[in-house]
Amino acid sequence: MLETLAQAVINGLLIGGIYALVSIGVTLIFGVVKIVNFAQGEFVMIGMYITFFLANRFGIDPLVSLAVSIPVLFVIGMLVQHFLIRRVLGLGDMPQIFLTFALSLLLMNVALLLFTANYRTVHTAYSDESIHLGALYVPVAKLIAFALAMAFSGILWLFLHLTDLGKAMRAAAQNPDVAMLMGINPHRVFAVAFGAALALAGAAGSLLMPFYPASPMAGQVFVLMAFVAVVLGTLGNVTGALVASLMMGIAESLGIQFVGADSGLIVVFLMLLLTLAFRPSGLAGGRAR
Amino acid sequence: MNSRYGVRIWLGVLIAFAIVLPLVVTDRFATDIFIRILLFAFIGVAWNLMGGYAKQLSLGHAAYFGLGAYTSTILEIRYGISPWIGMIAGGGVAALASLPIGALCFRLRGPYFAIATIATAQVLMLLFLKFRDFAWGAEGTTIPNFGDAPLMMQFDEKSSYYYLALGLLALGLAITYRIEHSWMGYYLVAIGEDEDAAEAIGVNAPRVKRDIYMISAFLTALAGTFYVQYIYFIDPATAFSFNISVEAALVCIVGGIGTLWGPVVGTVLLETTSALLQSWLGSSAGGVQLTVYSLILIAVILWRPSGLLGVFEDAYRRIVRARPASTEEAVLDG
Amino acid sequence: MKKTFAGIADPQSAAIEAGQSAAASDPKRFSRRDILTRSAGGVVAATAFGATPLRGYAAEPVNIGGLYPVTGSMAQIGQGCVNAAKLAVQMVNDAGGIKSLGGAKLNLIISDIQSDTTVTRTETDRVINGSKVSAIHGCYASALTLIASEVAERAKVPLITGSSSDQLNVNRRYTFTPFARASQFAQAQLQMARLVNEKPKVAVIFENTAFGTSTSNGLREKAPGEGVEIVLFEPYSAGFADASPLINKVKASGADMLFSVSYLNDLILIVRTIKQVGLKIGMNGGSGGFVIPDFYKTVGSLADGLQGVAHWNHDSDADAQKVNAVYQKMYGEFLFEYAGGLVAQTFMLADALERAASTDPQKVRNALAQLDVSSGYAAMCPGGKVKFGPDGKNIYGHPVGVQWQNGDLASVFPKEDARAPLMKT
Repeated sequence: MLETLAQAVINGLLIGGIYALVSIGVTLIFGVVKIVNFAQGEFVMIGMYITFFLANRFGIDPLVSLAVSIPVLFVIGMLVQHFLIRRVLGLGDMPQIFLTFALSLLLMNVALLLFTANYRTVHTAYSDESIHLGALYVPVAKLIAFALAMAFSGILWLFLHLTDLGKAMRAAAQNPDVAMLMGINPHRVFAVAFGAALALAGAAGSLLMPFYPASPMAGQVFVLMAFVAVVLGTLGNVTGALVASLMMGIAESLGIQFVGADSGLIVVFLMLLLTLAFRPSGLAGGRAR
Repeated sequence: MNSRYGVRIWLGVLIAFAIVLPLVVTDRFATDIFIRILLFAFIGVAWNLMGGYAKQLSLGHAAYFGLGAYTSTILEIRYGISPWIGMIAGGGVAALASLPIGALCFRLRGPYFAIATIATAQVLMLLFLKFRDFAWGAEGTTIPNFGDAPLMMQFDEKSSYYYLALGLLALGLAITYRIEHSWMGYYLVAIGEDEDAAEAIGVNAPRVKRDIYMISAFLTALAGTFYVQYIYFIDPATAFSFNISVEAALVCIVGGIGTLWGPVVGTVLLETTSALLQSWLGSSAGGVQLTVYSLILIAVILWRPSGLLGVFEDAYRRIVRARPASTEEAVLDG
Repeated sequence: MKKTFAGIADPQSAAIEAGQSAAASDPKRFSRRDILTRSAGGVVAATAFGATPLRGYAAEPVNIGGLYPVTGSMAQIGQGCVNAAKLAVQMVNDAGGIKSLGGAKLNLIISDIQSDTTVTRTETDRVINGSKVSAIHGCYASALTLIASEVAERAKVPLITGSSSDQLNVNRRYTFTPFARASQFAQAQLQMARLVNEKPKVAVIFENTAFGTSTSNGLREKAPGEGVEIVLFEPYSAGFADASPLINKVKASGADMLFSVSYLNDLILIVRTIKQVGLKIGMNGGSGGFVIPDFYKTVGSLADGLQGVAHWNHDSDADAQKVNAVYQKMYGEFLFEYAGGLVAQTFMLADALERAASTDPQKVRNALAQLDVSSGYAAMCPGGKVKFGPDGKNIYGHPVGVQWQNGDLASVFPKEDARAPLMKT
């Protein structure tokens, strides 16, 4: 019993690391650009396909392909911000919600067009291996993914708190007008924020690939949990999103273990609805909207 | 006066055209496309009341579509009650359900509201999946075959379904027109523009939003009943499909959000596009249709956020060289 | 139709054009592969709207409708079905067509139902009414087949299908199901569990979809009668991010056999997670995503030794092996359950047409109802005999137990259908 419990916590924590990469991206974009990016999951999917093709064509290990997926997604992020998002800023809810929503639809279907609905897997030497500790086990691929996810989150935190650009980003997030008066170019800051968020999504894609099959809809699986975590952790709060993601992972795992595997999503959605309704500012406090 | 007169003529022509259409075009496949257009235009009209006029961007209208579909189906199969009655009952159930859902979601605005509505539709779908004894669970059920039974909403003639869908759309448009030209319409527009300001000038925003949500939910549920009767089958994945929620919003945005004819124009454009795509490109390439849909959507959002209806209105004005029409006298607006 | 509706009217002519380019004027100019690769794009494109002959024959052909999801989430399997359906029609035609109709050729009208319920409804209607079909077959997914069946019943056109939902045998006159039903799969799975272990303790995990719930309910009902103890009965939401919580639950249940009723993506994660956990457990993956070549492609040798059930398998008899060899040569993978069954179904239709000596759907339906075959391509299925009862069910129909053995799917159960010994794991 205790073993089962401990194992459930380990499982939840590990997958929570992936949720964290996705949700930190969403919350970063919301915090800085004030846009909810419904397409975040699709950028994870793009990261997965990049990793798949590098592995398939050139035999490159998914972990090595991080060096490709992160910068590529960063650039895509800057471009998306520059050519699409920038044009709807300040235009009201409808364009802001539906632009990223349409982008999500577009990316999924273009992927379907290009790659078909087939599941693509990358099999590495460590894909199915585990470290066994007594009766407990820790899958190697997921452990690596978790460790790197935490590392990337830490790097982002350091970036936001230690560099000038990061500080400018936080300033722009708190008060764009004042930030502009202080000589911060909001468009540059926005573009970097979007790029960084998508780079995290790209990293998530690469890290998932050794143990999760790529398909056009793959992003949807992760973005859902990420949204819940973002709301729970207060939209726009990076640390909040990280903690909430790990909690969501554990809650999901425990829920499946002790409640039922078909109730997990109901619980997740209800938590989301109740949080939105009664603590719309998220569990970490602060003001939403 | 003149402009009003012109509007009446056009409306008359349009109605006559819609009524005569299935008599002239008897091809069943074409009729099928017309039915789809009418149905989704109707769902769009229902969504538009909420999303267009009050600017409450719901992405969860499938909740009411599904409730309508399930209510009438349960009444029909369990109790032998005609779907005509079930349709109204379904509308009632949906309207009632909109009260608690609204109470929850209206605490939120903008993207939060959209996310919350997605969640409500998903929760309903998962509940219908989980509680198998209540309504057939994931396996769903087919509608019993009564042959040609107009009283049970089953017809041999495809055109009957067409006229039923046409009637629904006419109902939706009539209701929208009435609301548009009532105090409620002005309140809605005020809320849509700036809710806080509307409240400041004495609009009871929560109440107006609650009422319009009920009407919108009621109408969406009618579409749900029609849909099940039309495809003879119901399961949670179909009835609460996220696609329904998306399509409802999409046709409005493309056509013209918050306008009487926007959803109709949007549906005609999108459905015709998808029919054309199918014939030109074939369906061998999966995803083409939604790719083009989303491209159209992005283009509209970036270049014409008020929708394509306006483009046609401008063109019409240029052609008839009408006096510079005031905004209230939008050409097709009545 | 007038020009006003060019958008809707024109496709007819577009379809005819595309049809001509696919069929070409002289079919002999093309090798078989040419025709198939060309038609893969051309025919599907053409038939999106209009009735288009697969190949242009002068004699009056017999139209058969085939409804499969060639796009959308089930695209790949749907395409396999279409390939098999074309192959089957070609086989019938090459053997001289329908002799009682003066050697009339079968003309396959493929329609893409896009894994979508609305499209299924309208396409079934269109194929039936637009093309004067004698019969139709389809649609892989049970939910889609149910809709097609409702349309076919109302239009009084026979539908023959490999879909396993028991609902297809309720109150129907024109629906025929030559293969094992969902309820029968359960029994076979339970009996197979006892091949490995005298008193098996089974964990059942199933996705909460139509496919998952109908199959698992059968398992729960029949387990006591078969001497199998179910220690875990767990529905899950299809499409999860991580299988390990579920497998952790299976582990805690103390089961020695796992029945997983899942589509491909979840199944891949489940199989890989079991390996990661190092869990020693037998597994029966049912049918669905488990018995298609893609499963082996994605999980590789982890699949070896895993059991499943199918309503058709390519090693069942000499005829099946012959068809399989041709198919394998064309498409590079073995003929999977649903597609293989489809070849047999086409020959059942040919047999019925032969006896009906008419293309009238009503007469074809009556001939199908009296079908009684025990040899030839029409009879290549587990049991080797087809005869329909009043509910449209093949009275001899039963599933075959299969096992992955070195990348191939071998029939191992029951004894009379076994073509290879059970591999011990």
